Amino acid sequence: MSEILKVEGLHKYFGKLHVLRGIDLTLEKGEVLVIIGPSGSGKSTLLRCINHLEDYQKGRIFFEGRLVNPKKDVNYLRTKIGMVFQHFNLFPHLKVIENLTLAPMKVLGVSKEEAEKKAQVLLERVGLLDKRDEYPIRLSGGQQQRVAIARALMMDPDIMLFDEPTSALDPELVYEVLEVMKDLASSGMTMIVVTHEMGFAKEVADRVMFMDSGVIVEQAPPDEFFANPKNERTKEFLKRILSF
Amino acid sequence: MIYQIQVLVRSFDYLLIGALMTLKITAVSVLMGLVIGTFVGMGRLSKSRAFSWPASVYVEFLRGTPLLVQIFLIYYGLPSLGLNLKAFPAAVIALGINSGAYVAEIVRAGIQSVPKGQYEAARSLGMTHGQAMRYIILPQAFRNILPALGNEFIALLKDSSLVSVIGITELMKSGQIVISRTFASFSIYGGVALIYFGMTFTLSRIVRYVEKRLAIA
Ligand SMILES: Nc1ncnc2c1ncn2[C@@H]1O[C@H](COP(=O)(O)OP(=O)(O)OP(=O)(O)O)[C@@H](O)[C@H]1O
Ligand SMILES: [Mg+2]
Repeated sequence: MSEILKVEGLHKYFGKLHVLRGIDLTLEKGEVLVIIGPSGSGKSTLLRCINHLEDYQKGRIFFEGRLVNPKKDVNYLRTKIGMVFQHFNLFPHLKVIENLTLAPMKVLGVSKEEAEKKAQVLLERVGLLDKRDEYPIRLSGGQQQRVAIARALMMDPDIMLFDEPTSALDPELVYEVLEVMKDLASSGMTMIVVTHEMGFAKEVADRVMFMDSGVIVEQAPPDEFFANPKNERTKEFLKRILSF
Repeated sequence: MIYQIQVLVRSFDYLLIGALMTLKITAVSVLMGLVIGTFVGMGRLSKSRAFSWPASVYVEFLRGTPLLVQIFLIYYGLPSLGLNLKAFPAAVIALGINSGAYVAEIVRAGIQSVPKGQYEAARSLGMTHGQAMRYIILPQAFRNILPALGNEFIALLKDSSLVSVIGITELMKSGQIVISRTFASFSIYGGVALIYFGMTFTLSRIVRYVEKRLAIA
């Protein structure tokens, strides 16, 4: 396996608030990394820094071995790193198919026919081809999130970031989104997933990472991570989250 | 009274020609105001002071001074700097620049009404700031501010009566010309008011119709 992403000594402040305090992280191609941790520990901020939706005050990020220049490379980088948000963020004024085709056409210069052909394939893959001409508001939360995943995939990203993709969903809709993500993982996609779905972590993750107060506390393959966590904070967190 | 009505009937065509001029001035000024307002509105929200500061000054100054003074400044004031404008361009520029300030505030509110996640989703797909604005933020913003923009256009249509003072024969001026010949002040001003009302009423209906059409999508 080869390294695709490396985060080195990353520090992020919101004003005086020190949110990320020295994050070091490497990701192999094809790896599925699940990040867990209490609310406010900096999980979203870390994903957003990787995608440069937030700036950072210290540290370096390497993509495919090359140092990312936050002033120059972000638009290109973002085409290579897809992001799926907790609240889907589909474009409400565009039909499903247009949600998918807009960025490839405007950013990559793909023709409309080509973009639509690809969109059909991806909609089929997430099981929503029949919704291609609907507006997002007419879809359930689970369907919207699947469209959002397809939209990100349209750019042929090398890495997909998921920020609590199922947290805003009714329980009965969680499953269909996780299925799509599992399918994606088994197709070899490199993924970083922030989630509270421990079942998903156990089943799909290659590595589970626990964050607290802006630092990485512990990380291990899921079997080891869940069977015998080493750090007290990890144990405490797992006890709380697995107890219901 | 019969005389007054006769005058109104006889000069109605003439007033309508004036109304056409009013519509023309309004249409051109609205377009100008929209373009200016869109850019100034985006400028006000810019993180860079080099954009936000001039945009703020523009809005504050134009909203804080009388439109009549602005019209005089452009029509009578600029020539003394060697820049001569004909009445029509002067009128349209004054109205457009003025309306731009109000539209800017509306556009600013409209952009702010679009959830932040929309911009982030657009950027996360690799779109530039400009692309995100053009394809994602502004279309949603304009849909949200359509009622407010409609009100602004109606205000502009009414304000366009002020340019009668620089000798443009729009509706107001046409009325004054008829009155100066016939002295039928009541019926002519009454007729002028009715024609203004007919135009603003129609405009507000059109805006409401467009609003409904867009709401379906
Ligand atoms: N835009 C912002 N401005 C100021 N503070 C922020 C901002 N975004 C996040 N924070 C703060 O940074 C810290 C980390 O937030 P973050 O959203 O990364 O946590 P998280 O681990 O994703 O939590 P959650 O599980 O609730 O999503 C929190 O204390 C939060 O209040
Ligand atoms: Mg979060």
